Amino acid sequence: MTPRTVTELAAALRDGSTTPRALLDGALAHVDRTEKDLNAYLAVTRELAESQADAAARTLEEHPDTASPLCGIPMALKDVLCVDGIETTAGSKILRGFKPPYTGTAVQRLFDAGAVCVGKTNCDEFAMGSSTENSAYGPVGNPWDVERVPGGSSGGSAATVAAGSVPYSLGTDTGGSIRQPAALTGVVGFKPTYGRVSRYGLIAFASSLDQIGPFTRTVEDCALVYSAIAGHDPRDSTSDPRAVDDPLASLHAGIAGMRLGIPREYLGEGTEPGVRAAVEAAFRVLEAQGATLQEVSLPSTDVALSVYYIIAPAECSSNLARYDGVRFGNRVERASLTDMYLETRDAGFGNEVKRRVMLGTYALSSGYYDAYYRQAQKVRTLVSQEFDSVFHAVDAIVCPTSPSVAFPMGSRDDPLSMYMCDVVTLPANLAGIPGISVPCGFVDGLPVGLQVIAPRFEDSRVLRVAHAYEQATAFHGVDSPYAGEAA
Amino acid sequence: MTLTRAEVDHVASLARLGLSDTEKDRLLGELEKILDHIARLQQVDTSALAETAQVGDLVNVMRADVPEPPIGAAAALRNAPASDGSHFIVGAIQGDDLDA
Repeated sequence: MTPRTVTELAAALRDGSTTPRALLDGALAHVDRTEKDLNAYLAVTRELAESQADAAARTLEEHPDTASPLCGIPMALKDVLCVDGIETTAGSKILRGFKPPYTGTAVQRLFDAGAVCVGKTNCDEFAMGSSTENSAYGPVGNPWDVERVPGGSSGGSAATVAAGSVPYSLGTDTGGSIRQPAALTGVVGFKPTYGRVSRYGLIAFASSLDQIGPFTRTVEDCALVYSAIAGHDPRDSTSDPRAVDDPLASLHAGIAGMRLGIPREYLGEGTEPGVRAAVEAAFRVLEAQGATLQEVSLPSTDVALSVYYIIAPAECSSNLARYDGVRFGNRVERASLTDMYLETRDAGFGNEVKRRVMLGTYALSSGYYDAYYRQAQKVRTLVSQEFDSVFHAVDAIVCPTSPSVAFPMGSRDDPLSMYMCDVVTLPANLAGIPGISVPCGFVDGLPVGLQVIAPRFEDSRVLRVAHAYEQATAFHGVDSPYAGEAA
Repeated sequence: MTLTRAEVDHVASLARLGLSDTEKDRLLGELEKILDHIARLQQVDTSALAETAQVGDLVNVMRADVPEPPIGAAAALRNAPASDGSHFIVGAIQGDDLDA
């Protein structure tokens, strides 16, 4: 069997059956063959990857026992993550040609562990979207059906792992942008607790919601990558100083006796029948593992969507004020400064970004601040309180990740119907709690994801529940049609 | 909930977005629809709720006031659309530019 997970590749690197260069060559060749269909990459970073692969080979040679399991293994980064000197566009025209002067902390931690960066992945512009159709550089194909979206906004990071080009990637999740594409492409996607992973060097979208996390093929790999990137960073003032427990220590502990809650609002009318059937079958698997399932209620789920679509646009309108054509990014030259701002931002931003900047500016403007922004902040408190109260009764929540499977490109041209994609993922961002999506079945050949959510800082519990489910099922082992094309 | 075209003009100006008339007309309809949906928020009784600005429990994160090596002018200016090697260059700021 061809190794395809981080764990398997780490073993192969140590028993001499492969080398970092061979893995890199395989990954690059796979990307070359699949890009015309997938468009998962905005840049392939061959030079960087070659030097990293050579350095990793030396580390594995000199310190085989202490080298990180990630050493010498190819990976990819969502193009909102800064790498020193490597073009980083956030999927936007306004940042075409931008080369950051430093590398972000989460990325640096992976590089320090010996990671080999194959490239920067395509995404919705500034991570705003649920289908990757908002990228200024064209949409990403879903490896299960290239006429369909891979979800978003981290669509490229999800697609490249699902296609089998690399065993893991990093994405970001502001309202579901890791978990939803993971579900739609049949891979594992994890949004850690807010504050667990430093955002230093992440191009900000909505700062009270954004979190970095991994895409992998297995939950064990996810725990490995998460362990490598998690932990306090003084360069991000929202980074939490609490010690990170080792998720691998409890990964295999099982879920016997665990109480799991199913929020009735998360299986509402909008849930496709096939998704419902797959997730309900997953509940039975969890019960068979010894967990106790009970129905719970999160009554504010419906208004949580409204809260999110005020707070996220409000924060983005503020964060994106920096793109003014002065210090970085592209400029449209005009004689007056105001005209330069106006034309630069009009030419540089795409439709969805403009829509959200307008919505956010409106919600923060004089006369509407109290009715919209302040009210949203208060209802956000209610959303968190409802999670707190549910977590008195249960240890974790299990539910669908997305109400639907991957949809055809162009089929959701109405902004509101696109926003509905996030209805069961964004509440976890509002509350800052960890959530994961793990493959739990197929509907007509399209993947379905099971979401597991736990209280803040119970990241290990999320991984443990997901692992127990994964080990009792075979869905994570099913390859997309693009996998297995490796050289 | 009725959004007016004048409000769209005002918000676009606040956001420094030089939108075309066609874009503004389209956004008027789209934003109205989104705001209509969001309006359900007004029905929630929030009289007893405090605002959540951030979910963490960290307050006033400080570091020692010790200088660290700066990024340096060359690196800071590397991505500037226009610079003279030690400054960012912008057009002249004239009277009307300070409005809005």
